[in-house]
Parts: sequence; C-alpha cells; structure tokens
Amino acid sequence: MDSELIQQIRYQARDLLESGTVKGVIGYERASDGLTARPFFAYEPAAVERLIFDETCSHNLARYLVDKKNEKMAVVVKPCDSRAINLLLNEEQIKRDMVFVIGVTCPGVVETSWNHKDEELQARCKTCQLVEPPVYDFLANGEAVERPQGEPYLDVQQMETKPITERKAFWSEQFDRCIRCYACRQVCPGCYCPECFVEQLNPLWVGIRIAPKENELWQIMRAFHLAGRCIGCDECERVCPVDIPLSLLNRKLEKEVKELFDFQAGLNPEEQPPLATFKKEEKLGFEE
Amino acid sequence: MGLENPFVPYLATLKSAVDLTPDVKLLGVELENSAEKASFDYKPGQFALLSAFGEGEAPFGIVSLSRHGDGLEFAVRRIGTVTNALHELELGDVLGVRGPFGNYFPLEDYVGKNMVIIGGGIGMAPLRPVINQILEQRDNYQDLLIINGARTPQDLVFAPEFKTWMEAPRTKLELTVDRGDEHWGERVALVPDVVKEVAPSPDNAIAITCGPPIMIHYTLIVLKELGFKDNQIVTTLEAKMKCGLGKCARCNVGDKYVCQDGPVFTLEQISQFLEQP
Amino acid sequence: MNLFISRDELIRWLDQLLRERILAAPVQVQGLTLFQPISKVEEVTLDFGNTTLSPKEWFLPPTETLFSMQGNDGHPQLVPSTIEKDAVIFGLRPCDAKGIALMDGPFLREPGDALYQERRARTSLIGLSCRQVQPECFCTSVGSAPNDSSHVDILLTEIENGYIVQVITEKGKALLPEGLTESKEELPAPPELQAVPTKEVTQAVREFFDNPYWEQLADRCLHCNICAYVCPTCYCFDVRDYPNKGNPERVRSWDSCQSTGFTRIAGGYDPRAAKGARLRQRFSHKLLYFPEEFQDIACVGCGRCVKSCPVNIDIREVMSDLQQLEAKSGS
Repeated sequence: MDSELIQQIRYQARDLLESGTVKGVIGYERASDGLTARPFFAYEPAAVERLIFDETCSHNLARYLVDKKNEKMAVVVKPCDSRAINLLLNEEQIKRDMVFVIGVTCPGVVETSWNHKDEELQARCKTCQLVEPPVYDFLANGEAVERPQGEPYLDVQQMETKPITERKAFWSEQFDRCIRCYACRQVCPGCYCPECFVEQLNPLWVGIRIAPKENELWQIMRAFHLAGRCIGCDECERVCPVDIPLSLLNRKLEKEVKELFDFQAGLNPEEQPPLATFKKEEKLGFEE
Repeated sequence: MGLENPFVPYLATLKSAVDLTPDVKLLGVELENSAEKASFDYKPGQFALLSAFGEGEAPFGIVSLSRHGDGLEFAVRRIGTVTNALHELELGDVLGVRGPFGNYFPLEDYVGKNMVIIGGGIGMAPLRPVINQILEQRDNYQDLLIINGARTPQDLVFAPEFKTWMEAPRTKLELTVDRGDEHWGERVALVPDVVKEVAPSPDNAIAITCGPPIMIHYTLIVLKELGFKDNQIVTTLEAKMKCGLGKCARCNVGDKYVCQDGPVFTLEQISQFLEQP
Repeated sequence: MNLFISRDELIRWLDQLLRERILAAPVQVQGLTLFQPISKVEEVTLDFGNTTLSPKEWFLPPTETLFSMQGNDGHPQLVPSTIEKDAVIFGLRPCDAKGIALMDGPFLREPGDALYQERRARTSLIGLSCRQVQPECFCTSVGSAPNDSSHVDILLTEIENGYIVQVITEKGKALLPEGLTESKEELPAPPELQAVPTKEVTQAVREFFDNPYWEQLADRCLHCNICAYVCPTCYCFDVRDYPNKGNPERVRSWDSCQSTGFTRIAGGYDPRAAKGARLRQRFSHKLLYFPEEFQDIACVGCGRCVKSCPVNIDIREVMSDLQQLEAKSGS
C-alpha cells in the first residue's frame, strides 16, 4: 500500500468536504474480507479516514457519477476510469463543473474477487499506455512504478486467425452460461440508458428468455452499442458471475474502431466518437 | 399433472366493447367453458388478469353488474402494451381471464351505514359495482353520496348510468370536472374541494375512494379534517403484477401482497404498512 | 443405521441413475462449478466448496414456458407445459437443500405452482455434507449446518475410501442401490463456522425500516441481479408473452426486485424508484416478510451473494449493522 498516495487522497477529500465544495467523495474502502476493496461514499470529513488506494482498487467509480449527477461529487479515478469521465462529458451525461476529479497515478491493479487477490497484474494493466489520467482536478502522485508495456490485442489477433466456425462455437459456449444478470450493463459507465433495448416490448428485440439465442443477441448488441465508446476498464468482465470473457469481445470492436478511425474513446472529451458522427466527406464505399 | 396450472387462463370471447371515454373502453367478456362460466363468481373489489395472448397479461378490476362468467366487464384504459392490445381486439376475438383474485369491499359489514363513494377518472370503475350492489339492496344502507370527478366531461366514465344513480332513493350524485367545456353546466372543481364543499358527516359513515394517487392524497386529508377515522376510509391499491398468485414477489407493499391481501385496504391498514404505496 | 458406499459403488450407482432419469451434478465448467445434467459419471466433480449457482434452477428454471396457445382454426387451446422426466440432484450441500425447502413455502401454498410442484415430486435429492467450510459460509447462524440432513432424501458424508450414507426419506430408500453394507464408522463431527448474529434481525428490519442506512448502502449497489440469481432462496420472476408466429407462448424468467423498473406500472409511476427502497426490499423480504409468514429467515448462509456481489454488499455485515443501529442511532 502506498501510504503517501492515500494521504494525498484523504487530504484532498477532507478539504473538499470541509469546504462544502462537494456533497460527497466517491472512493475506495476496505471490503468485508479485509483484503480487497469496495466503493465507498464519504459524506463527512471524518469518513475520509476510511479511504484507501491499492492494487485491489479495480472498480471504475466514474460509473456512479451518472446516479449522482444532480449533486457535485468528487471521485477517485485511475487513468482508465477517468476515460469514462471524458466519455460521460462528451455524451453530455454529466457536467464538468459537477465533478471534482481526484486522479491517481496507478501502478496497475490485480485480479480480485471476494477474499481473493492475485499476485499478477490484470491483463489490461499490462498493456495500459496511460501514466496519468487524461482528466483530473487534483493528481495524487504515487510511487513511480514501472508497468510492463505489453502488446495490446494479442488475444484478439489470435482469435481473428481462427475460422468463423470455431469462433462461433467458442462464443456460443461462453454465452450459454449467461444468466442475464445484467451486471455487465449495470457496472458499465457507458450503459446509462434509462430504458435498455433489452427491456423494450415494442419492438421486442430480445425478450426475457434466458436461453442461448437470446443471450447471444443480448451480448452482441451490447458490444455493438459500446463500439467506439468502450473505454476498456474491463469491469464487465470482472463482475460477470459466470466468467464470460467480455473484455475479449469489447476489445475486438475497440481494435476495429482504432484501425478504421484511429480513435479511442475517453482520451479527449472534445473528440467526437466516430459512430456518433457523420462527415459528408466520408466514403460510403459505393460511389466510385 | 397433479395440479391445475394456475397460470393458465380461462379462454373467453370479447362480446362487447363500448367507448366510455376517449381512452377508456368497457370490454364485455364471456368465458367459453360453461362450467367455468357458471362457477366464476366475484365480489366488488376483486380483480382479474386479462390476457391479450402474444402481448401479455395485466390486472383489471372487475366492474360488471353480472357476477358470473357470462357477462364480465372491465374498464380498460389504453396506456401500455397490454391495454393497447386489448383495445385493438375485435368482437369475437379470444382473450384470457384469470381470477377472481384478491379481497373485496366488505359491503355486508357496512349494512346500516351512510355510504360516501368518491371516484376520480378511471377510479370510478371499481366503484361502479359497489354503487350497484348498494342500489340493489337499497334498504340495507342509509344515505348514499356519490362524488364523481374527471379531468373533462368526456372522461366521466359511467355517464349513461348517472340518471339511474340520481333517481335512486336517499341518493345524491355530485359531479365535477377539472376543466369544463361549452356544454358543461355543473361545477368545475377538484374532487377533494368538492368533498370539502359537500362535507359529508363521518357519523356512522364509510367512505370508499378510488382514483389517481394525487386525488386520493388530498381527498384523504379532507376526509380526516371532516372527522373520518382511518378505519372508516377504504381504498384500492394498484401495483405492477405478474402472477396474481402471491408467488412472483412483485406486487408487495411492505409485507402485504396487493394480489392476495388487497387490493382493498382501509386507511388504518395502509397507515400501518412499512412501505407507503 | 447408516450405510457405507465405496467410490466404485458410487460411480456404478450414479451410472445407473443417469440412465433412468435426469441426473444433475456438480460439473467443472471453465473454472466454475455448476450443476448440470450429466451423461457420463466422469463429468462429476466432488472437489468443490459450493457451486456458483444454486440448484434452485432445477425447480424454478431461469426460463420456462408456462403454456402455449395452439390451434389457429378458430378453436384455440391453451396447452400447459409438462415435466417429462424424473430427476436426481446429486451433490447438493445442506444449505442448498434447505433453500429448496424454503421455496416450497410460497410455491406450494394455495394455489400451488403446478410446474414447481411436479418437479419437486419427481426430483430426488442426494446431498453431500461439508467436511470443510468456506470463508463466506455461515449456515449455522441461519438454521442449517454442514451436516444437516433435514431436507434431502439421502445424505452422503465423505470419509476415507467412500461415503457414509444416511437414508432420510422413503424416496431416498427407493433410490439406493442393492448390497450396501452397514457403515463401520461414525459420522465425523462437522467443521466449525463463524457465527453471525441473527437473533434480533427480523425486529431490527422492522424497527429501522425508514432509516437512512438503506439509501446509504444503496450508493454502491449496482442494481444488477447477481445476488438474487445466485441465491438459493430468491424466487422473483417475470412473465411475458411471445407472439411466436401465431402460436403465442407465455414464458416466465428469473427477475430480481433490484432491477430498475421492477415495480414500474404502465403510465410511469414507480413506487420503488429510489435505489435505497429497492435494496431494502430484498433484505426486508428475506429477513422480515418471509419469516413472518413462514417462520424462517429466507437465507441459508451459503455466502454466494457475499462472494459474487461486485461491490461487496455483504448480508452478514447488513444483518450485523441493522442489529446495531440502535447503538449508533441515526448513523
């Protein structure tokens, strides 16, 4: 645990609460297993003593900003999480002056589940290019840590070499286990629709059946709704109770968007996401 | 199978569909199976789940004057998927009926009392069979006061029955609308204000009220100011329902299931609820 | 008198059972352990703490058709679904067996749920007692135990070379293979578990119903359905129609009181729009409404929700917090 980093976070949080600048601070505290972390909402200056930051702080707290958009909140974010803030700003789901961003320079987080902590960094951390959050109001500087600079998309590329029948069989097997808990959607900062397509009756896109065909439709449509918007926090994969490799699916579309449009979501709140933008000069592929 | 599947509805045919207001239809339904038709017996306050097969199922108060499966009537307001589908049905089409479910207005306990019936908009529908039962057994009850309001004159659901109600002995009908039109000659006021104006006495009286939540909210305040006690005020609660059998755990208000313990509750019971509806 | 079954005898027995009926047993699936129907005994794993999902899906499936409408010729008929085969659930833990027994309360009371009742009648339960417990387990605090045989037809307890067999019901007796000998060994003592205070929790939920505790706890709740879906005793379900090209089907699927819109009616009014109210509903149902009706808390201490909740809403912590609210009045 980097105690210097934690002191900086607490100091900033206490200051914000005491001055009444924010209604609350969204950070991390120790979970009930005494080992991992969980989200924590501090509303009183005394509560900041519960704030922590360490390698178990995997959660993307930016997601809570959508719930709390009517109050000014501070939020503790890693570089990946802060990309979600940029996404929400760009899509006008939150206002910049309603959030105080406490950014942290993150050494990477490990795989965790309740009462369990891996030694190795998460796959996404091993390929993460960000040192500082692309948006912050205050930067809590931790110890300088060397993060491995891995090649992103290796597993996506490997999957791409497989014939389509094999890929279909793989994903069918994965989606078979889906129980439609929608934790992936609920944890995702990009999934903030008041009525999700899966709940619509007219037209009935998916329905309520928890069965392979419907599961597949749910997963693939959600992945497409996130194409060009997913910021790669991998929270969906972390929360899935039946271990569906959602990150692999989302990063395939992320890779395609990057190749086609040279765009990655959440790095710049001003930059328009390609799938929500129309440019007259874009080739549609059939004029010539 | 050892047990009748309680999720399977009775098949019924749409026998009549009358426009009561621009968005409310009175659907008349007859059960197909003669045994089911004869044995269906409901008491005012109870509800049934109507199925528009392929679209869904939803709960509706039973409002018919007939008790049995030959002439069940439901006042259906077009507001969502199922009600839309029910409105689109044609005479002779098949629909499903499950019920009767829930508890009922204990009118036998109110014998000898003054009855105050306060209904707003579509809330008048479940009160219609109550009024009718009182009129059928007129000597069993003392004075009958009916206060019926709606947004506009077109939204008064049972206008064709007003004459029968008004002409019954010891019965007064007070009508009101939120917004009148050029033909409207009666008062223009909100229902709670009319209750205040008419000021029914709480002595030996029971007030039964149904309508939009906001109307009920203010009506209850006025009734309490007039001296009505919580156990003299009766209403019905609405909730999202799926099974109607007390199994899907959706319609509960605190520890009470609207489909089993309701929909009829006294204000005394509601005030003791953990959750407020 | 307890019997003994060797590992080889057990394998033969399971092999025989799976020919005659559906046999659901714990199976390793990509690092998870799940109850699945097996076609070969080799698929079974008994090296597990508890399964990720409870075996309640064998009585209340995640999705099932209630009935379908057939006959477009002007005389439609409603055809209810039927249960085709007998089944055996093998390897379920005592906590999960208690979970099924608790679900009997709402599903068997009048009017009984025909499909649930049929499955229940035609399914036998062969339990596996726990020789070890997991950090999330707390069954002894909620009326069960690692060796509780109350709710199964047969209970197996692992010892060296095989299992002690306790035959609990006639149904279990009818299932047993021939030729089992009497067990020479005594049943081992069950493992110790943490104690979670539960004595005053029902009163506490009632007393502190309107306490801001719920809204504060709900701050981090994602309102997904994980806790309800992994829970052996949560049973909320949704019912929808499918047009199905002219042969409409009515289907029920798992749902959870946590999801937004659970109580929203047509027209938009939603009595539980607030996150805190929805979070409170799940705990109130389990800890207050259910015990007031069925005399038992609707929690079996399996700890699945503790393990699976992505934001660590821990029912043990909630129960403890509620019972201490008086001491920390208002906080």
